Amino acid sequence: MAKSPQSQRPEPEGPATSSTSDLAERIARAKKGSGAAQAAQSFRQRELTGMGRAFRFASEFVAAIIVGALLGYGIDALLGTKPWAMIVLLLLGFAAGVLNVMRAAADVNAEAAGGTDAGIVPEDDD
Amino acid sequence: MAGTDPIHQFNINTFFTFATLGGDGTKGSGVEFAFTNSALFMILAIGLVGGYLIFSTRGRGLVPNRLQLVSELSYEFVANVVRNSAGTEGMRFFPFVFTLFSFLLIGNLFGIMPYFFTITSHVIICVALALLVMTIVIAYGFMRNGLGFLKLFVPSGIPGPILIIVVPIEILSFISRPLSLSLRLFGNMLAGHIVLKVFAGFVVMLSSAGIIGIVGSVLPLGMTVALTALELLVAGLQAFVFTILTCVYLNDAIHPGH
Repeated sequence: MAKSPQSQRPEPEGPATSSTSDLAERIARAKKGSGAAQAAQSFRQRELTGMGRAFRFASEFVAAIIVGALLGYGIDALLGTKPWAMIVLLLLGFAAGVLNVMRAAADVNAEAAGGTDAGIVPEDDD
Repeated sequence: MAGTDPIHQFNINTFFTFATLGGDGTKGSGVEFAFTNSALFMILAIGLVGGYLIFSTRGRGLVPNRLQLVSELSYEFVANVVRNSAGTEGMRFFPFVFTLFSFLLIGNLFGIMPYFFTITSHVIICVALALLVMTIVIAYGFMRNGLGFLKLFVPSGIPGPILIIVVPIEILSFISRPLSLSLRLFGNMLAGHIVLKVFAGFVVMLSSAGIIGIVGSVLPLGMTVALTALELLVAGLQAFVFTILTCVYLNDAIHPGH
């Protein structure tokens, strides 16, 4: 292949087409290779974000409950309404935790459905 | 057993003190501004990231060499995360998000190296970063949308009486964000490093118990190797999760109504 341009000089099309088709072939091959690499990478990323999602769900649920309890405790300490604010806010925190997890799950579902443009993330129907 | 103490690695050592505010002059009183091992590794992480980026892109080649390619790939990676989660308008926060991501990634990865201090294993660092994110979200949200930012707490299409219940829940859900953001990062790094150290400690303890112990210590040694690999994964993963959630929250600041 390397010699052909010199041997076929007289006819201008020959070397040009052969070298371009060779190039096209090489580009196609490289693309296929990178496609495989990309698939592998997206697989890794999916595995990775699967674990990330697990941590996200767990921590968002727990965090809302902790925040509710602490806020309630603080309000009780300030206003002397022990234990009512804490009870109410703990329950609200639980609800907020469920809401957080639902939001996160809605994000995940939107991603799985192929909606990559999250500028218009379909929030859950609340 | 100082060598196998799993908590010892999180000790803060003061190298020197800049100034002491307040206090009565005796040791331990007042607020001390000190240069600690935590500060040292923060500076090392920032220095490594900044130095590498400046060094690798100094050629500004149209066709990047390998070093420049790493910089460009990390740029593309973070830029994609920002665009996907916060839209094109979120790109104005790209410098912030990129700094956050690279700092966390290098900080977490530093923690895996022997004798290195893990910055993110201290809750105050994670809380400071999470509060920085939330401050930016709130400030930018009010700056861009004015009082319309409060629509974040009032979902559309809900009848009035139910709002009395829904709005507090939404507010609580918003307040819980910095907590979940910081606790997740801190908890993962702390727990991972303690478990790693405990299993490594088993190797030392077992191998001091004669020939049977040395043979038996192969098991915790294998576990330590496996856990190191897991820690590597967690280090990258937690930096990534922190970044992606930052972008999601920034998206709320840009488009508050939902």
